[in-house]
Amino acid sequence: MITAQDKILHVASKLGLTSLKDMQASTGAVYDVDTDLSGQIFSNATRHGNPGVTNINENQFEVNEALLVENIAFYVRSTSGNTQNFQENYGSNAVIVFDLVIGNKRVMKDTPVFAAGSPYVFATAGKRYFIPEEDLPGMQYVPRHQVFMEGAGVLIPPQVQWYVQYTVFDVVTGAIIVPTAATAIGCYLFGTKVLLNFNTTI
Amino acid sequence: MASQAQKLAYVDGKLGAPTSGQQTTRIVFNTIEAPGTTSSLIFFRNFQGLSNGQTNLTQNRLDSSESLVIKTIWLAQINATNVLQNFGGFRSETISIIVGNQTVVKNLPLQFNEGATGQTFDRLHENAGVNASPNALATNLFQVVMPTEIRLLTDIVIPPQVAFEVRIDSDNNVYGAGAVVCALSGYGKIFSAGNSF
Repeated sequence: MITAQDKILHVASKLGLTSLKDMQASTGAVYDVDTDLSGQIFSNATRHGNPGVTNINENQFEVNEALLVENIAFYVRSTSGNTQNFQENYGSNAVIVFDLVIGNKRVMKDTPVFAAGSPYVFATAGKRYFIPEEDLPGMQYVPRHQVFMEGAGVLIPPQVQWYVQYTVFDVVTGAIIVPTAATAIGCYLFGTKVLLNFNTTI
Repeated sequence: MASQAQKLAYVDGKLGAPTSGQQTTRIVFNTIEAPGTTSSLIFFRNFQGLSNGQTNLTQNRLDSSESLVIKTIWLAQINATNVLQNFGGFRSETISIIVGNQTVVKNLPLQFNEGATGQTFDRLHENAGVNASPNALATNLFQVVMPTEIRLLTDIVIPPQVAFEVRIDSDNNVYGAGAVVCALSGYGKIFSAGNSF
């Protein structure tokens, strides 16, 4: 089985990135929110507050930094800056259909993330929960909106732009649901990270 | 892929640090009292006035012959009435770990692993699906949220005698008048004299 490190080194070798293997291996995630309501996430990160809205300065990594994307997740950011659940804002009938584009190549194509809970996660079931206000046992499930990549994931190499293009639909009617500033869609990409460092002893 | 034990032995060997010692599971932790509202928290920097129940180190480095692989980052926020809160209150915040003069974890977001939002980086974190809406009714005996925890994908080594710290950056998040706690957990080695004394 190919490991995350194997995949990074393989892609780096193919791209001629000979020094990537000497950098610091780490765990990382990048996130951004489509506060501009443009239908794209990460492409406008330059204009967003850090770390309030995003944790990147631009939608490409610097020299010798890379991210092997192993988990793609969607959430909602309220106007007050809180991270919220997609289903709790859009309802169980909503679905995000997204592409992940790296450079000029689409590496995830028309991928659905169902508000009701996606098929990619084991722990889609939330918690049976006691609701003190109503003094009775309530049942609330908080679905997860993540895509765990099969295999070893997809590498975003250094100095290549990437973005996520998405549309929110009503899965029942097929109509497009337009996000608002109060329900802006956010996305994070999580996985094995390569950090620029000038030695690799740690 | 190298195991935690292999990685630790490799790094210790590279640095010329002792590779003998008692193998164990190690958790180091540090507390910041009354953090208030701030855009920057730094754990493992200040040990002054902290009891053994607030930190298990006396300085921001491990003893000679002791080292640690970080596999899990754990963060908790407890308010002045001893109720566990969501760390930073769901607002965006990032964590960085600096070992020596090298950043080994860089701006890793925390808010997704706080539960209630239906997110965690890994598949099996059970608290990803917990709704914390009755949070206001929580007490110290009726806990409705869980601490924030992130399992790292790679083994990060803290070698002996090298200073380290954990930084949290945020957009002026509210951490309250209680305390915030950071713990780093993983495989480690502790000093073992054996028959050398």
